[in-house]
Amino acid sequence: MPWVNPLSGKTVSLTNRTIYMLPTRHGFMFSLLLFVLLLAAINYENGLIYALTFWLASMAMISMLHTHRNLLNLKISAGPCAPVFAGETARFTLVLKNELAIPRQGLSVLVGKNEVGRIDLEAGEQGSVTLPASTLRRGYTDIPPIELSTNYPIGLLYTWSRKIKLNHQCLVYPKPAPSRPIIGGIDNEQKRELGTRAEGDDFVGVREYQFGDSPRHVDWKAAARGQGIQTKRFGGDARSIVWLDWDALEGIDTETRLSQLCRWVIDAEAEGMIYGLRLPGQQIKPASGEAHRHRCLEALALFGN
Amino acid sequence: MARPQHHPDASALNWIIASAVVVLAPLTLEFPLWLSFAVAGLFAWRYAGLHHGWYQPGRIVRYALTFFLAGAVFKEYGTLLGRDAGMAMLAGLIALKFIESRTIRDYLLVAFLLYLVIAGDFFYSQSLAHGGYMIIAVLVCTATLIRLNQDHARLPIVSFRLAGTLLLKALPLMLVMYLLFPRLQGGLWGLPSDAYAGRTGLSDSMNPGSINQLSQNTEPAFRVEFDGDVPANKDLYWRALVMWDTDGREWRAGKMMPLETGEPKKFGEPVSYTITLEPSNKPWLVALDRPSTIPKLAFPRSGYLIQGRSLVKKRVRYDMQSQAQQRTDKIGDVTRQRSLALPDNTSDRVRRLAASWRSQYVNDRDVAQAALRYFNQNEFVYTLEPPLLGQNPVDEFLFETRRGFCEHYATSFATLMRAAGIPSRIVVGYQGGEYNEGGEYMIVRQSDAHSWNELWLPNEGWVRVDPTGAIAPERIELGSDAVRRLSSQGLPLGSLSPELLEQAMKLGAMARAWRNSRMLWDNINLQWYRWISDYTFERQEKFLNNLGVYAPTWLGMLAGLLGGVALLTFAFAWAMRLRRRTRDPVVVAYNQFSRKLARAGIVRGSSEGAKAFSERVVLSFPGQIAAIDSITNMYNELRYGDGSEELLVKMQKLVRDFSVGKKEAV
Repeated sequence: MPWVNPLSGKTVSLTNRTIYMLPTRHGFMFSLLLFVLLLAAINYENGLIYALTFWLASMAMISMLHTHRNLLNLKISAGPCAPVFAGETARFTLVLKNELAIPRQGLSVLVGKNEVGRIDLEAGEQGSVTLPASTLRRGYTDIPPIELSTNYPIGLLYTWSRKIKLNHQCLVYPKPAPSRPIIGGIDNEQKRELGTRAEGDDFVGVREYQFGDSPRHVDWKAAARGQGIQTKRFGGDARSIVWLDWDALEGIDTETRLSQLCRWVIDAEAEGMIYGLRLPGQQIKPASGEAHRHRCLEALALFGN
Repeated sequence: MARPQHHPDASALNWIIASAVVVLAPLTLEFPLWLSFAVAGLFAWRYAGLHHGWYQPGRIVRYALTFFLAGAVFKEYGTLLGRDAGMAMLAGLIALKFIESRTIRDYLLVAFLLYLVIAGDFFYSQSLAHGGYMIIAVLVCTATLIRLNQDHARLPIVSFRLAGTLLLKALPLMLVMYLLFPRLQGGLWGLPSDAYAGRTGLSDSMNPGSINQLSQNTEPAFRVEFDGDVPANKDLYWRALVMWDTDGREWRAGKMMPLETGEPKKFGEPVSYTITLEPSNKPWLVALDRPSTIPKLAFPRSGYLIQGRSLVKKRVRYDMQSQAQQRTDKIGDVTRQRSLALPDNTSDRVRRLAASWRSQYVNDRDVAQAALRYFNQNEFVYTLEPPLLGQNPVDEFLFETRRGFCEHYATSFATLMRAAGIPSRIVVGYQGGEYNEGGEYMIVRQSDAHSWNELWLPNEGWVRVDPTGAIAPERIELGSDAVRRLSSQGLPLGSLSPELLEQAMKLGAMARAWRNSRMLWDNINLQWYRWISDYTFERQEKFLNNLGVYAPTWLGMLAGLLGGVALLTFAFAWAMRLRRRTRDPVVVAYNQFSRKLARAGIVRGSSEGAKAFSERVVLSFPGQIAAIDSITNMYNELRYGDGSEELLVKMQKLVRDFSVGKKEAV
């Protein structure tokens, strides 16, 4: 309903005022059935048909309360959302929490008019629905506004909530540009600081494999011999230190530059390099690892914001 | 939102098939055999298609089947409309719809049509059994409806429990709608047909032995609800027929006489009551002797009888008023002649006996008394198993066998009175009845059939005289059932001392229980009839009058209906709010503990902490200090610390075992 404000907040709880209800198509069909039954009862003065008619009508009335209760006091919040690159589909997690002592069934999550997920919740249970959203631009993207709807238990009436716009966003990295050799200056002073030597690619020994080590450096032969997974360590250029520099890409427009830097961050991390990022107004010191990669990509995603 | 366009899972379809079987099964009794098989076959075909991948018919085959069905139904019934053909078509179309159903939307339509079939079944009967069947069928159909709205298979009990909950909660609403929905004004004879079973009953001719056939028949003849006090058993003479003519062997109602001229003078308090007459296939209606009103749509007959417009083929219900004491006017010549006529074969012994009384007494009443004394002081015996009588039954009975029951006494008495020149006739009907305390009504059975006499006495008019009462007062005072029980114990009637009688009449525990359960069952059936089949315009008006609503309008009733429904719906909505929160088992256990203490007079304040409460409790129950402290500590640990499942079990056990009664023991 476009004329009412959507519900918003970190967590939204559905109240009486935010739930609406109407008969479904089958509800109208059912009322036609009741009408036929009533005519038969009146015409034939048949007490049992009267009883049946009124019983079914009453059941429909009571089912209204049940359908309504199926949504009432449902708590909706958003779970974590893994960052994606622009153009990929962001997967928001919608967390639905049932705090009542009764199960809720057949809850469906709508985006626009399309059902994107269905869920049943036992008493006191909480469950989640993945909410895919396509992304176009880097930066933060909002969780799409949703509606909740249900027609459980007998499908004669359906109830739906006001539009819900949670305060939740997903980070979208720039879209990576096609691969291109990294142009980046190597800073000797930095190198010293980091304590790495520049003696070529001599093998200096092995250490226990750590998450994030490049598979190219795993001593596969030793692994095959059953000695566990170990990483070969090299001195010098094998762990080259690069500065991924905004200024190195002069003459290109901002978004393309960011895309290129994004690609380099991905590649540098994959190559096992030690890399830093220089952007106008900010600089991220060379390092490596997932957290560092995220820091860099985040900086790119939010550049200019 | 449902997804009506989706295809349901295969197990959901089993539900539809199951509910179709439940709903259609009783109708197989009404359907021709081929139709039952055809419907079952179509359902089986669909089942085989779903579970075993059988070929399913395409559109052309389905159309052909539909035409074939219509043709076959037309051939069977000669029409496609009306109750039987309509139901046959409906069942066939449901099966055909089912076989082409693919989406949930289609199956929901099938489920709706099944509700229609349930209603159709009530055209055949509205008995209690059909009411019970409705409950089961509606439950199954509703559970199916729920199942179709579930995304995946759950335990069947889930659907059934929810369907049961919905239907139970719907009952109060249904009751309001049922009672208040304005009924249209209908006629007495427009009542729907119930069982046509009972056809035995009184007949309009009688020879000694014919009522005896009824004496073993305990089927109800009619039921009576009295508006005020129930008259004593000895006053319960139910009048149905008058017999005028005899050929010496048989008595007949004979030709209809012209109606009596002049209203009888009526005395005493009128008795108001309602009779529910079982179908008898006879035109007469019974009434308490002697009726002072005529029910709607019935008319009076001579002899103060009432007759319906047509044969009583269905159960009928009518309101009546009677006054026992009535003084009728002069007797017409035709009537006098007819009530004095004796057949030529009346024996001399009979005529002489009557003549002896006639010469002894001037007063007609004294002559009648002499006849009753004659029965009472000679060795006449009341028995339901009399010896067979020959060509001249009155003579044989009076002077030889002297064993018989009401018919023998009534025919002999009438003959004697006519021989003595006193106009007399025989009245046939019922006497007595069994009172159903639970239902506050009386059942009169075929075995209560009775015959007695009426004499026309100067200044008094037609007066009831029951010669059976002179022989077996128990029959009149206690009823036919008492007579059967006394006879089965081999006790002689008419000479029992009150103490002996009371002892003999006492029922054993088993017999009492049996009688009570029979009475309860009869009452349930009558109430069912009253509130279902007979809840028509008049009954509704009466019901509302009892509620204090006079002259209700249909608009007022509808307003009441809507108001009642709205009120109940809000009440339910409110009640459902109360049960919304999750019940924490820790809190439940602690509340149980608090309740136990509350019963002992120590009530926990609404904001009082568990610790403070326990300190207060310990003062009153110092002997229980260990248990109280443990419960309190466990509660705090479980609620605010990280208590384990084991601790909860321990706490629950402590609470269960906790008893304030141990206070004295310490």
